[in-house]
Amino acid sequence: MRVILMKREFRNANDDEIYMHINEIQDRIIEEMSARDDLTDKYKYIIDMAKGLAMPGEQLRSEENHIKGCQSSVWLKAECKDDKISLWGDSDSLITKGMIALLIRIFNNQPAEQIMQADLYFIHEAGLSAHLSPSRADGLAAIINHIKTSVKDTMHA
Amino acid sequence: MNEQLQHISTNELYERLEDPDLKIVDVRPVDAYNGWKLHNEVRGGHIKGARNISAKWMNYIEWIEIIESKEIKPEHTLVVYGYEEEQTVKIARQFLRAGFPNVRVYNGFIDEWSPNTNLPMEYLPNYRQLVPPGWLHALLLQKRVPEYSNNRFVICHAHYQNRADYEKGHIPGVIDVDTNWLESSKTWDRRSPDELKKEFKSLGISHDTTVILYGRFSHPTNDDPFPGSSAGQLAAFRCAFIMLYAGVKDVRVLNGGMQSWLDEGYEISTEEVEKRPVMDFGAPIPSRPEFAVDLPEAKEILKTDDKNLVCMRSWPEYIGEVSGYHYIEKKGRIPGAVFADCGSDAYHMENYRNLDHTTREYREIEKTWAKVGITPDKHNAFYCGTGWRGSEAFFNAYLMGWPRISVFDGGWFAWSADESNPYETGIPKR
Repeated sequence: MRVILMKREFRNANDDEIYMHINEIQDRIIEEMSARDDLTDKYKYIIDMAKGLAMPGEQLRSEENHIKGCQSSVWLKAECKDDKISLWGDSDSLITKGMIALLIRIFNNQPAEQIMQADLYFIHEAGLSAHLSPSRADGLAAIINHIKTSVKDTMHA
Repeated sequence: MNEQLQHISTNELYERLEDPDLKIVDVRPVDAYNGWKLHNEVRGGHIKGARNISAKWMNYIEWIEIIESKEIKPEHTLVVYGYEEEQTVKIARQFLRAGFPNVRVYNGFIDEWSPNTNLPMEYLPNYRQLVPPGWLHALLLQKRVPEYSNNRFVICHAHYQNRADYEKGHIPGVIDVDTNWLESSKTWDRRSPDELKKEFKSLGISHDTTVILYGRFSHPTNDDPFPGSSAGQLAAFRCAFIMLYAGVKDVRVLNGGMQSWLDEGYEISTEEVEKRPVMDFGAPIPSRPEFAVDLPEAKEILKTDDKNLVCMRSWPEYIGEVSGYHYIEKKGRIPGAVFADCGSDAYHMENYRNLDHTTREYREIEKTWAKVGITPDKHNAFYCGTGWRGSEAFFNAYLMGWPRISVFDGGWFAWSADESNPYETGIPKR
């Protein structure tokens, strides 16, 4: 009964993910990506993720949150409240924004410790390692690295 | 979908060659586009005006962004051609599915276009110096390879004080070269002629040895104490410049570096390869002094109309937001230099590379440069912070066969070290 009530509160398909473990969300993403055989469909999936990303306030796009070393502009911010991490992100490139959206989906509301230890196997299993260009894969690695560093900083703040 | 795929004849393609609504898409490997005859075609290179979209990139999720970056739009008529009909048709269908309604297939490249000298083709003038992985693989197997008639070659895995990068896996049979052996770790300039001679001898390189360089790109970030250690392909271009300056006549770079080798599925080795020293370099060093420019000449270039000092730094460095390096404090730019934007930072050259780290289509580089006045009729001296990115741009111009090119070796490091040199910050006023 409790589950049904909770589900009613969910406005979006992925809202229940705030109660899920990092790996459960990764498994869901793998399932969603695998259902799209065609590369163009996989691309559209990532772009839809980008479009669904909550609009960030202009203050997010500050110098402080700007990641250096990415070809497209990327802004990321992590905050810690009640031992859970809140992440915001944005990019001027749609595919990069889509990948940020996936990472936010996985990491939001998770304990900092778990983010630090997370093994992001979805990148491989959802076919991103095989189908992202080396240059984009480099960008994704830089973003993950930055998120983990920011989360670590919130732990020591 | 079959009925939507129309073919185009050689005659019609020839007649529509100058049609701005027709975009010719060459899906062969970048090296074939540049000039290598990978399928024994009569003439190497590509159909005049074709854009290169290698079939390999069609396996990337973001391939559509590559198409957009080449300004190919759904309203254009696309003519897709390649080596093999099956692959060409497959890619043509991929375009159809992605919302390009007017796609046609051309199947006459090998049999009709390439042998007929009345049909125009183009190629990267010095494509021989940018080698495909398959060529290098065949060379290592001691097979006869095209565009090579020498009897001595040395292949170098380039790195910056990071021998572990070589030890963890390199192309079998190759030696390593540390950029520190060829450039000073104090000034970051090329070493003195005597020092270079000593290093070349111990590496087994004389002026008439064919040298092939490559490196591994392994995600340099500014959080690393030595980001250059992860920018191996840039290190390869840096060594290539110094060798050309010294007088090695045949210096080549593996297009795309280690990534291209791995993409082909070739094996790597962890076995150390012994260097085989030579008695002498065999030519005066430098044999091509004009390839390097130092501070006094750089200042003269700034005063001369038909010369450009070309800034290969990133935008944040150019506007003085960052210095770009852990060991350079001063932020800003050299007044009067022409900005040619490398990409994101001191260890990346995205604007000069394809997404798989191969060198970008030369026509695109040429077009970007022409917009800011970097043209082959001028003397262009490329620089960055300490010379790596400048060396890659220099090599691009070298591949294009430009006659007057140099690296301003000291770059921002040398310029900013002298307090009396002027500098600017902020977004330049137009």
